[in-house]
Parts: sequence; C-alpha cells; structure tokens
Amino acid sequence: MNARTTLLSLAAGAMLAWPVAAVAQDYPDRPVSVMVSYGAGGATDFQARVVTMVSGEEDYLGQSMVIVNKPGAGGRVGWNWFVRQAPADGYTLAVYNMPHFLAQAVEGGVQFDIDSFEPIANWGADPAVVIVGKDSPFNTIEEFVTYAKENPGKLTVSGAGLFVGHHIALLQMEQAADIDLAYIPSQGGGSAAMTAVIAGNVMAGINNLSDAYRGMKAGDIKVLAVADLERSAEFMPDVPTLMERGIDVDDTSVNFRGLMAPKGTPPEVIEVLAEKVPAMFNEPRVAEQLKAGGAEVRVMGRDEVREMWDASRGELEKVLEGL
Amino acid sequence: MTTTTTANRMQHLVPASAVLALAAGVTFLSFTQEPAEAFLFPRVIAVAMLVLAVWNFARAALGLARVGSGVSLRPFLNILPGLAVVVALIFAGLTLLGFYAASFLGFLAIYTIYDPVPLTHGGGWLRRIAVSAAFMMVIYALFARLLQVQTPQGLLF
Amino acid sequence: MEFIAYFGNVFEPTAFLLLLGGTIGGLILGATPGLSPTMAVALLIPFTFQMTAAHGLILLGAAYTSTVAGGAVSAVLLKIPGAPANVATSLDGYEMAKRGEGARALHLSFLSSGVGGVLGVLLLIFLTPLLSRWALAFGPSHLFWLAILGVTVIGSLDSRSFVKGLLSGCLGLWLAMIGYDDIQGAQRFIFTDSLAGGINFIAAMLGIFAVPQVLDMFAKGRSTAAVVSIKVSPQSVGDSMREIGRSGRALSIGTVIGVIVGLIPGVGGQIAGLVAYDQTRKMSPHRRKFGTGHSEGVIAAEAANNAMVGPSLVPLLTLSIPGSPTAAVLLGGLLIHGIFPGSDLFDNHPDVAWTFINSMLIGQIMMVIFGIMIASWAAKIARAPQPVMAAAVVILAIFGTYSVQQSMDDVLIMLVLGVGMYFFEKFGFSAAPLVLGLILGPIAEANFIQGAMIAEAGDGALPYFFGGVMNLFLIVLIVASVGYSFWSNVVHARDRTEAPRPDNPIEVTP
Repeated sequence: MNARTTLLSLAAGAMLAWPVAAVAQDYPDRPVSVMVSYGAGGATDFQARVVTMVSGEEDYLGQSMVIVNKPGAGGRVGWNWFVRQAPADGYTLAVYNMPHFLAQAVEGGVQFDIDSFEPIANWGADPAVVIVGKDSPFNTIEEFVTYAKENPGKLTVSGAGLFVGHHIALLQMEQAADIDLAYIPSQGGGSAAMTAVIAGNVMAGINNLSDAYRGMKAGDIKVLAVADLERSAEFMPDVPTLMERGIDVDDTSVNFRGLMAPKGTPPEVIEVLAEKVPAMFNEPRVAEQLKAGGAEVRVMGRDEVREMWDASRGELEKVLEGL
Repeated sequence: MTTTTTANRMQHLVPASAVLALAAGVTFLSFTQEPAEAFLFPRVIAVAMLVLAVWNFARAALGLARVGSGVSLRPFLNILPGLAVVVALIFAGLTLLGFYAASFLGFLAIYTIYDPVPLTHGGGWLRRIAVSAAFMMVIYALFARLLQVQTPQGLLF
Repeated sequence: MEFIAYFGNVFEPTAFLLLLGGTIGGLILGATPGLSPTMAVALLIPFTFQMTAAHGLILLGAAYTSTVAGGAVSAVLLKIPGAPANVATSLDGYEMAKRGEGARALHLSFLSSGVGGVLGVLLLIFLTPLLSRWALAFGPSHLFWLAILGVTVIGSLDSRSFVKGLLSGCLGLWLAMIGYDDIQGAQRFIFTDSLAGGINFIAAMLGIFAVPQVLDMFAKGRSTAAVVSIKVSPQSVGDSMREIGRSGRALSIGTVIGVIVGLIPGVGGQIAGLVAYDQTRKMSPHRRKFGTGHSEGVIAAEAANNAMVGPSLVPLLTLSIPGSPTAAVLLGGLLIHGIFPGSDLFDNHPDVAWTFINSMLIGQIMMVIFGIMIASWAAKIARAPQPVMAAAVVILAIFGTYSVQQSMDDVLIMLVLGVGMYFFEKFGFSAAPLVLGLILGPIAEANFIQGAMIAEAGDGALPYFFGGVMNLFLIVLIVASVGYSFWSNVVHARDRTEAPRPDNPIEVTP
C-alpha cells in the first residue's frame, strides 16, 4: 500500500467513524446521493429522477435524493466505484439495472457480485423488444428468423452495449432459434442504438420497450416481438412475445431498475429505506409520470428483489455459459 | 522588465525524452495487452504517437525546437509553496477536515503566501480572512445550497 | 409562419417570468466551472414536474440557451471554460481579459452567441423536415472520417509547432482511452484504482486550462508587481455592436459550422467552437493574431456554440432521437408531460412545440441583454489581486471537478494533468489540441469498431469505409486539411520558428 492510499483510507475512516454512530436514530438527516451508472438523459437516469422526486416530502424520507451520474462501460465504472468507494452509511445509494450488473459479474472482470449489494426496492421493468426500421422488408419475427437462418452472421442487430439486457436477449434468441446474428454494440447507449436502426445503418435492433413505443407511435420503426413472458398489454398489445412465436426466450433480459445500498450499510438504515422507498415508488404522481414516458411500473419490496436477483443469476449463468 | 526567453537545447530534451518514453511505453502496452481486439485502436494511435515523439526528440536534439520559454529557477521556486498547499488540500485536507473548512484554510494560505502585504501587518490579516470567508460563503451557497453537491464531511465541515 | 401565432404564450406573465428565471439562472449555472449545460438542464427537470408542459419547456429551453452562453463568462475571465463548448472561447477571450478588455470580450461573445443562436433557432423553425434527413445521413463510417477530419484540425490548431500540436493531440487521444473500453468492456491503461473510471472530460479540461494559469500566477511570487491591478477599460455596448457588425466573416463562419456540426448526432456542440475557431483563423488575414487576444477568435467560437443549439434539437423533435446529451435530457422533460416527440409532434402538440421553440428564440435575446448587463460588472474581476485570483481559481476548479461525479479521483486527475500541462506548455505543447483529442478519441474509435463490425457482416471494410460519395468527400477534405497544415507549417516553417511568439513570457529576474 502506498502512502497516498493509506492517507486516503485513514481520511475515509475518520470521515465514516463519526457520522455513522449518529445515523441510526435520525436517518436521514441530510440529502441522500443516488448514483446512476449511466449518463444524464438516458432512460435509467430519467426514471431515477422521476421516482426520487417526492423523496423530500415528510411522508417519505423527508430528505431529497440527489442524482449523481457515473457513466462508463455499460455501467461497470459506476458499480465498481459503488462497491469499492461508496460509504456504507445509507447516504449513498445506487440504481441497479438488472440483468446488466449480474451479467457483468458472471462474465467477470468487475469487482462486484450479487453479494456486494443490499437490494432496497424495484420500481420498474422494461422488456427488450426486437425492432426494425419502417422500410425494412421484415414484418414479422418469423421473416427475421428465416433471413438469419439463410444468412448466418449477416443480419446486423444494434443494442446498447455488451452484457446489458439487449445483449442477453440477443444471446437467448441465438440459442433458442439456432441462428447467428451480428451484434453491433453502440457507445451512446440505447438511443444511439435506436438511431442506427432508424437511419438504416443496421438491419435490426434490440431496444427498450419504452423507447421503442415512442418510435412505433411516430411511425419510424416496426416492433417485431417482445422478450418477456407476456405481451405488454398497456403499451403494445398487438406485438407478440418471442415465446408465442416458438422462440423460447424468457424474461431474463427484462431490464429491472431499482435502488440498492452497499454491503455493510447498518440494518436499521436499510429497514427505514425498505419501508419508505417502495411507498415512494407507489406514489400515484410517480407512477403517472413514469407511465407518461412509456415505462411500466413494477414495484417490488426488498425480499422480492432479492429473490429475483437469485433466480436471475442462475439463468444468466446458463445463457452465458456457451461463450 | 519582462523579457521573453527561449529554452535551451538541454531543457527541450527533457520533455522530448519524457514524451518519447511515454509513447514507447504506450506502444509496448498496446501490442502486448489482451484482449487484442480492444487494443486495435490504441495501436494505431500509439504508433502515430511514437513516430511523432521520435521526430520531436530529433528536433530537440538537433537544437531545432525553439518554441516555448522553458522553465527558469526563480519562477519554479516561487511555484513550490503554492503547489504544496494545493497538493496538501487535495491529498489530505479536503477529506480529513471537510471540503469547506479545508478550502477556507487553503484559500487563506495561498492568499497569505503570495500577498505582498507583510505578515506583521494586522490589517492585512483582517482583509485576508474576510476575503477568504466571503469567497467560501459564495462557494457554499452555489455548490451546497443551489446544486446540492454532497461533499465529504470530515472532522469539521 | 405558424409559429408566430404562438408567440403570445411566451409573453403571458407566468411564462415570461419562467423565461427570465431560466435565463438568469442559466447564465449563473453556465458560468459555474464543471457544470455543463447537460447537467444544468438535468438539475432543472424536477422543477418542471409541477408545471404545465409548455411552462416546463420554456424554463428548460431558456436555461439550455443561456447555460451554453454563460460558459463564456468563466472562460473569458478566469480561463476556466464553464463547459466543453467554451474551450475555444477561452483561447483568445482570456488574453483579452488580461489586457483589461474583459468587458469587450464578454460583449462580443454574448452578441455573437445571440446572432448565432437566433439564426440556429430560425433554421430549426423553417427547415426542420429537410434537416432531419441530413441528421440521419451519417453512418458509422462517415462519423469515423469526420472524427479523423477533426484530428487533422488538431495539427493546425496549434500555430506554434506542427509536430508538438499533433503530439499533444495524440496524447489527448491516448488519455481518452484510459479506463474501461465502452464497447468491449476491456480494461485499458489502468495503472491505479484512481484511473479505473477513466479520465473524466470535465476534470481534464479544468485541469489543463485552470491549473497552468494558477501556476503562472504563483510563478510571479510575492512581488508587489503582481498585485498591481489591470486597468479594466470600460466598453460601450454601441461600440461592441459596431464591432460585431464589422466581423461578418468570423460571425458567418462560426454560425455555419455551428449549424452543420450541431446537426450531426453524437458529435454535438463540444467541437463546434474549436472547429469554427480553427477555420476562422485559417481564413483570416490576421492569422497570427489568433491566440493573443484577437476578437475574431471569440466571435467565431461563441457564434458556433450557440448556433448549434437549435439544430441539435432537430433529430430530437422530428425523430425522437436525442442527438446530444443535452437533447437527451430535454427528451426526459418532454416525456414526463406525456409529449412524445416525433414526426407528428407539430400536428399533435403545436402549442407546446412552438412555445418551446419560441421561448428559445426570445431566450437568445434575453440572454444577450442580461449577458451584457453583467459583462461590465463581471469584467472587474480582472482587477482582483493576483493572489486572490489564484486562490479562487484553485478552489473553483476543485469544487467544479468534484461536483461532476462527486469523486476525489477526478480532483486528483485534474491536478496531475494540470501540473503536467503547465510544464509541457513551457516547451511549446498546447492544451487545445489535447482537448480536441480527448473529445474525438471515443467518437473515432467507437465508429471505427462499429463500422468494422457492420462491414464484416456485409461486403467488407474496403467498400464500407471508402465507398459512397459522402465517404469520398470526407476523405478528400481530410487530405486537403493535412496538405494545408503541412504546407503552411512545415514548408513555411522557417519564418515562424525564428520568430517565436511571446505567449508564455516568464519573468527573468536578474
């Protein structure tokens, strides 16, 4: 250990030792930071700002939540920071994106795993959908699969990055339908991947249902299928699931978003959060504004999220095994 | 009286060698690290950098590098105390004492070090402390209140 | 002419108050180091939750407009570019402020921002359908060549030494690669944990601009000479307006480049100012004066910055594709009110869409008025004694850097890069090409890799990167740009190297 690290850890120790003691009774007594591991303006950032907007009200935390963006490498940069450096005092929380962070943990090369975090609550679910440009020759998922079978490795499909929900959905499709697609990860997240589809730089794309819903309404894209167990009755009831069409893809790739705390956060603090945060997500104003953005609200408590994480990790290991 | 000097050949060799060493190191890493496909682009840049660094080094060695005033001893010595304050602030002060307390002390220290008013002059101290405090209040209003930036609390504030 | 019908909405009392608040707040936020327009607009989003859609968008539109222009204040007065877009402004603006012409520099930058901004928004109003197709015309191969074109500009951006300019640019490109690679997820050049998150662009920018300038003040030592304040010359608005009127060349080059660059999704306003600055310099008869406090530099850079605001929203409003990070945040602002941008936006919600666009138009004018009001007052900052300035810039740089990601690592990176830059600058390396390298590196790389992947699935790399009119056109531009730089810097190098410009004078005390 070099001198600087020692000094910093000393400093950090001094910093932590003091406020933590006072935390338990009157948490929170100052604003809470919420780290988003994607850039300002992305779907995760936007939804995080919406669901935390009422946090300052007395019914909820009584203190505002402040969004801090730490984007990079599909979320790895932010979550690595969170597990290594975030103080575990309840004043620094983070948004998780499932299955992204678990897929990255399974894939390796990151400093976190399922046990590094304490789930608090889930606010939404955003399934992956298969999209094509409005002038594309594909009108159904069957046509898409037939083309991919006849031209292995030639069908270019854009997505938000490596080992994010979009990529998982693509891998599952490849396995289930026995096809070989050319995955083109984009650098600017989901919106850059969407641009590539609309502009015709790629032949198809996998994107968030919420973003695809807008594109579909505006008539810029066609949505071929949803990678979830059920159709999205609310936003696109006419679009079939992959399963309906005989492609055995479950809901592993659905992008669940919620809040989590670092391991080691005092149990009393987690208790407070686990009680107040789901109530905050259930606030009608929050739900209304999420829905306006095309995002499905799915509130889950701490235990439910824990179960979902565990189930999903096993599934991801299976999907990523063959790579 | 301000005069413009051009650094001499020996001085130019120092940064030229530093950049050459850096370019060589980057090139080496780019060609040896895995996974290779992630280092494709770094290789292109590293080679370009290496070629330019060699060219630059040759110019410096031949005495053709004339741009830049170089560093002379006196100004360099003048920098050291101020830089020491900044380094102390960033490496320890901010997290140990808290952002606002440490910044106040840092501001005051820099002001005091470079203020020509003699240290024995009481009014000088009064003004320095008042200016530092006023500045920190503006910073606090802007960052803590308006932007709600969460800073490490530290021992003081 | 439909938009005129909706001007009334902007002038109803609540809306107008929001416009005023957004403009003034935007100027302040814009002038805060480290706070980019994207972050400023993101901060305001929660305030719009309780407003009507039109009101919320008036606030966001006005704030966007004025944060971009507000960045000029700290760029000119402190040489801390308030946002990446203002890097080019600081090159000549700060030199002007050092001569006591801060008020003039600020007047010129606000006026040219206003002219560029109004033209940009007018373009948005009249040519949106036409422009949206242009925004989609850029595929990965084109964006790759465009970034390379930007890299070749690097060589000529530094007028002092061709090889050192290119070398500084390469250093920037390399610094941008540190950290996790976005596409492959591989770790690159991470030597310590502090670098794991990569080099944050704003931290790097604050370091390489603000720190060398602080060290220069330190270098003067404890002398009374350093405290003698600069005479701040007053500047009448009339004179500034006449000067703008005479600077048609810089103004038009800046506006045209701002509009073109602003339209390209993903490239955004960060490089508009630098490219416009460089082109104006190449076409100006006073080429040598650039970098010494020449007004054309400020005018071109600021006209480009604000001209890009309107066009950068074209892909957002017509296709629901955010072409820039700020546009992405604005998209959020639209969505929470249930307004979906897209080709039918102007049919479904004409009131909201036009009110938003009109508010940006009026916002530009408000921004000029308030900007000029604060200019003469703010320019007096140059009169502050050097020790106070040095201390203030240090603290501002630390807080500005920290607030971006609340990270001490960023502050550390800022210091290290800044101190390094100070010494390298003394030997003819320069900051502007390094910044351009930092910006363009990720764009060039991502599009290169994506292009290569798409090409592999298609006809192969050669036809993909070299086929088509647009690829060829960009390649010709690159060749021309390299040729020009080589011709003017190497072939004609003799007269330049023998008369080095006194840009970094260090006092030699006998």
